Amino acid sequence: MTDLPWAQAHEIAEAVRSGRRTAASVIEATLGRIAAVDPRINAFTAVTAERARAEAAALDRAIAAGAAPGPLAGVPFAVKNLFDIKGLPTLCGSKINRDRTPASRDALLVERLRAAGAILVGALGMGEYAYDFTGENAHDGAVRNPHDPERMSGGSSSGSGAATAAGMAPISLGSDTNGSLRVPASLCGVFSLKPTYGRLPRTRTFSFVDSLDHLGPFARSVRDLALAYDAMQGPDGGDHACTRRGVEPALPALADGPGRLRIGVPGGWFETRYGPEAREAVGRVLQGLPGSGQIMRVDLDAAEAGRAAAYLITNSESAAFHIERLRSRAQDYDPDTRDRFLAGALLPAAWVARAQRVRAWWLTQALAAFSVADVLIVPATPVPAPRRGETVLDLAGRKLPLRPSLGLLSQPFSCIGLPVVTVPVFRPGELPIGVQIIAPPWREDLALKVGHALEARGVATAHAPGGVRAQAVA
Amino acid sequence: MDLDRYVDVAAEVIDLPVTPDWKPGVVRFLGLAAEMAQLLETVALDDAELVMAPVYSPDAFAGGKDD
Repeated sequence: MTDLPWAQAHEIAEAVRSGRRTAASVIEATLGRIAAVDPRINAFTAVTAERARAEAAALDRAIAAGAAPGPLAGVPFAVKNLFDIKGLPTLCGSKINRDRTPASRDALLVERLRAAGAILVGALGMGEYAYDFTGENAHDGAVRNPHDPERMSGGSSSGSGAATAAGMAPISLGSDTNGSLRVPASLCGVFSLKPTYGRLPRTRTFSFVDSLDHLGPFARSVRDLALAYDAMQGPDGGDHACTRRGVEPALPALADGPGRLRIGVPGGWFETRYGPEAREAVGRVLQGLPGSGQIMRVDLDAAEAGRAAAYLITNSESAAFHIERLRSRAQDYDPDTRDRFLAGALLPAAWVARAQRVRAWWLTQALAAFSVADVLIVPATPVPAPRRGETVLDLAGRKLPLRPSLGLLSQPFSCIGLPVVTVPVFRPGELPIGVQIIAPPWREDLALKVGHALEARGVATAHAPGGVRAQAVA
Repeated sequence: MDLDRYVDVAAEVIDLPVTPDWKPGVVRFLGLAAEMAQLLETVALDDAELVMAPVYSPDAFAGGKDD
């Protein structure tokens, strides 16, 4: 097994199941890592040390008594602080939610990971109410990028991306409404899976935009993504949007490979929205795809209108959800989110209704692309992690506002609920950047197979931080 | 569109506090939303393309929606 903190979840589980390591020793090492590293990264808003130690001890006793400990036995994990954790208020990155009654029960996905043997070690920081792509937060401070603490970690699942990249949690959970699983994965250099909309139940999590919210895992390998994803699948009546489809495990056939693929690379609008590092990463993915079938340019310029629809639905629906808090406690919001929420509360209804129609139209355009291509390849972010405090994104002379533009390439695909695996494509010592592998609805298995093949060929690797700057986390 | 005046009137109608300090930011974001709305107008939609709101199914609350 690779030494902690860089051991992968499946390696840890195997060691704990076989008795080569105790869950207690894994948890002590993880808590020690968090204590040593997190003061520089600021990924955690709560460390659930007492609970983790108790659960690890119980697991070790169960294993000693001959019980089957589950596929994630002893694997430490942490969750974005919009997931309910029993005994803690669900902060959702805000000051206002600190006044909430502590949760009486864990979020469903936390329960499912625990049932598989995983052990929760804490809650992770995020952009306020998930309305963020940068990793900044006025209340908790910025989550720092483990590859360069002076750069953005990406949001809004900033703590999740950073904790997994920094060796503090081999698996973490986040959410994605417009790119929040993919932007931090790209900037922090780890893998993430945004499943199809409705695949994983959101029961007992704090919503951002109900009609666009997804949950999913971060990990340092595709195998770990699949392991966590399989443990979390299955319908639940607590989420009205959750599918009734049965569990469709991805792990058993992961290593079979994706077969000969037709690979679509969107041209036009997309091509002019990313920089040279992203272009190189896409090139490496295309070269590295196994038995590469046909690579073709596809026209997906409808994405521009799709993204506009996502912007308006997000702005309006989230503001409507927050309207009472905006009336009574607007001064307690992060200034970077407050003005957007206030504006969203004022949108004309006709704009939002048209956005819903364009969203449906954009889905038909995207599905047409899947009649000629099996998967689509698009960078996850236009550029690698910008420096903290930067406000302008310069793409070949085109100057764009940085905050919303970090999600430019991710937003169109969550808007229509497509499954996406983000893979890190960078060399040790470089700043990471991620590439999205986008599959048709309900084909998480295909996106995971492609990601796994890229990993096996050394194209996609979650390199440990350490080479970019002296103070990066070693 | 006179966004400045729109913010004043619409905020009063729905009883939303927009202080003078916050107003420039609110107007800026409303302007961005207006640009997005203009973009949507460039899409030629057929009258048969509906989905004016997220599709609601009472069945969903009994344990998840149909595939």
